[in-house]
Amino acid sequence: MRAATDDGRRAMIAKRWGRGLLISAFSALLVIYVAGPVAWLVSSSLQSEADITAVPPNWLPPKVTFGNFEAIFSNTTREVTYETRRQGDPATGRFLPSGAENLLPALWNSFTVGLWVAILNVVVSITAAYAIAVIHFKGRQAALYTILATRVIPDIALIVPLFLVMRNLDLVNTRFALVVTYLAVTVPFTIFILISYFEQIPRDLYRAARADGCSHVQALRHVYLPLSLPALVASVMFAFLTSWNEFIFALILTQNIASQTLPIVISGFVMDFTTSFSFVNAAGVIAIVPPVVLAMMFERYIVSGLTAGAVKG
Amino acid sequence: MARIRLDGVTKHYGSVTALQQLNLDIRDREFMVFLGPSGCGKTTTLNIIAGLEEISEGNIWFDDRRVTFTPPHKREIAMVFQSYALYPQKSVFDNIAFGLRLRGEDSASVDAKVKSAAERLEISHLLDRKPHQLSGGQRQRVALGRALVRQPSVFLMDEPLSNLDAALRVSMRSLIKKLHLAMGTTFVYVTHDQAEALTLADRITVMRDGLIQQLDTPDAIYNRPANRFVASFLGNPQMNFIEGKIAETSAGPRFVRGDFQLAVDPEVAAGQGGRDVVLGLRAEDAILAGDGGLAGAVTLVSPLGSEQHVDMDIAGVELTVRASKDQSLAIGDRLSLAVEPARLHLFDATSEQRLAASS
Repeated sequence: MRAATDDGRRAMIAKRWGRGLLISAFSALLVIYVAGPVAWLVSSSLQSEADITAVPPNWLPPKVTFGNFEAIFSNTTREVTYETRRQGDPATGRFLPSGAENLLPALWNSFTVGLWVAILNVVVSITAAYAIAVIHFKGRQAALYTILATRVIPDIALIVPLFLVMRNLDLVNTRFALVVTYLAVTVPFTIFILISYFEQIPRDLYRAARADGCSHVQALRHVYLPLSLPALVASVMFAFLTSWNEFIFALILTQNIASQTLPIVISGFVMDFTTSFSFVNAAGVIAIVPPVVLAMMFERYIVSGLTAGAVKG
Repeated sequence: MARIRLDGVTKHYGSVTALQQLNLDIRDREFMVFLGPSGCGKTTTLNIIAGLEEISEGNIWFDDRRVTFTPPHKREIAMVFQSYALYPQKSVFDNIAFGLRLRGEDSASVDAKVKSAAERLEISHLLDRKPHQLSGGQRQRVALGRALVRQPSVFLMDEPLSNLDAALRVSMRSLIKKLHLAMGTTFVYVTHDQAEALTLADRITVMRDGLIQQLDTPDAIYNRPANRFVASFLGNPQMNFIEGKIAETSAGPRFVRGDFQLAVDPEVAAGQGGRDVVLGLRAEDAILAGDGGLAGAVTLVSPLGSEQHVDMDIAGVELTVRASKDQSLAIGDRLSLAVEPARLHLFDATSEQRLAASS
C-alpha cells in the first residue's frame, strides 16, 4: 500500500518536473526568437567591421569598441579626399556612409513626428470613442463601422493617392504630412480600443456623473479618463511606435533631410557598393533606444492596457 | 422641491416600446415609488425624469419649467443607484464633494457641507477611504451623502437597497424615510420590492409593460388593487386566485366554483349573475376555524416564526392562508374557512379588471 503511494507521489513529482522543463524550454526558445536579433544588433554595434564580418561570427565582441557611435555623434558633412580616403573603406571601422550626418536630424524628426502623432491620436480618439461608446446617438453603429472600414484598405493601395493629395496641398517633404498620414492609421484602431475600454466602465458611473452635474466633457474628464489610464497609455505607446517604425509612407512622402525620419535615413546607409554593417547596427541601436525607454517607463500600465477590452468586467 | 409632470411620455427603443403615453403627476415633496417587475419601464421612467434618456414623444415638466430637452446636469437632480456607482478613484470625501465642486462652490463651504452630510449618515470616520475599502452598506451611505449634499430639487433612487442584505435593508429603509421627512424634497424611488414600496411611499405607481397599472396610496393599492396583476404583485404570500362564476341566490350573490362557494359583497356582485370572474383572497383575510362550512384538508404547513402559512385543499381548490403561530396544525387536519365578503376581491375573468361597487 505504502509502495503504491510512494510510486504515485514519485510519478506526480516527475510529471511536475517534466512540465516545468517543457515550459522553460519553450520560454527559452521564445526569448531567443524575440531577443536574439536585438542582442545581435547590440553586440555587433560594439564591434569593428572586421569583427562583424569574421567567419565564424563573433557572438560577443572580441574587443568592445564605441567607434561606431563616436562616428555617428561626431560626424560632419565632409568629402572623401586623398587624405581622408580611409573613411571610404568600411574595413577601417571609421567608415561614414554618405548621409551619415542626417542621422541625428532624422532622430529628431522621428521623435517630433512620433510625439505629435501620440498626442493628437489620443486627443482625437478619446472624444470619438466617448461619443460612440457612451452617447447613444442615431447612426452610432454606422459611424463605428465606417471608421473601421478605413482600415480594410491596405496601406500600399493608398500610397499613390496620398502622395497626390499631399503634393496638391503642397505638403510633400513636411513632417506635418507624416503626422496626418499616421493619424489616419492609428486613430481608427485607437478609437476601437478605447470604445471597448469605455464600454467596460459601469454605465451607472456615467449616470452618476451626469446626475452629479457633469456635462459630457466633464464626465469624460472626471470619470472616463482617470479610469482608462491603462488604455490611454497603451494608445500613446501604440501611436508612437507605429509612427516611429513606419517606413513606406515616409519613403514616399519625404525626400529631404528636413523631413525624413530614422527608418528612411538608416535604410539609406545600405548602399550599392559599400555597406558598413557596424555603422548601420549602431544606428539601429540608437533607433531602438527611445521606444525602449518609453516602454520601460510605462511598463506597468502597458500590461494591463493590452489586456483591456478582453474581459467584460 | 419640485412637482414633476410627465405628459404623454412615450419611449421607443428601435421597434420596442418601453413606455406608452405615460401621464404622471408627482406632487411637490411627495415620496413616489415606481413598483413593478423587471422590464416594466420603471427605471426607464426614472432615467427620463433624470434626463439620462431622451423621450420619443411627450413632455416633462419640473414645476412650470419644461425640461424635456434639458440635459441632466441642468435639472437639479441627485441620483442614487443600486450599484452605488461611487467613483472608484476618489476618496469618500471627494465622492461626496464632487457635485459641489462642479458647481464651483468654495472649498470652505464644500468642506462644511460634506462633513455635515457625513455626520448625518454616520460616515465621518470613512472620509479618507476609497470605495473599495468600504462595505456595501457604507458605500450606499456614501452614495446617499453624495446625493443629499447637493440639496437637489428632486431625489431619484434606482433600487438603492437591492444589493444590501435583509437586516441592512430595513435600517437603510428607515434612514431614507427619515431623510425624506427631514429634507422636504420630492423623492422618486424605483423598486421591485413591495415591502419597500409599502413602507416608504406616499403614493405608489405600479407599472407593467410600460403602462401604469395603478397609481394610488399604499393602502389603496393593497386593499383595492385595480386589477389582477396589481393584486398578485403585492402581498406575501401572494393573493389566492380562484376562477369561477357569480351566481345569484336567495341569500344574495355567491361566488361558485363547483362545491367551493362563498358569499360575496352584494354591492359589487349584485346583478352580475353568470359572469365569469376571478376571486381574489388574501391569505390573512381568511379565518381558520374547526370543521364545518367550507371545509378542507391541510396539505402543507410552513412556519415562519411570527406566523404560519397553511396550504389547504378545499373542494378541489388550492389555497394558502395565514394562521397564528400559536395554532397547532398538522398535515391532514380538516379545517373550515370563514371569510368576510367585503374582504374578497373580484376581477373580471377576461379583462382582469377589478369589479367595483356599482354605487
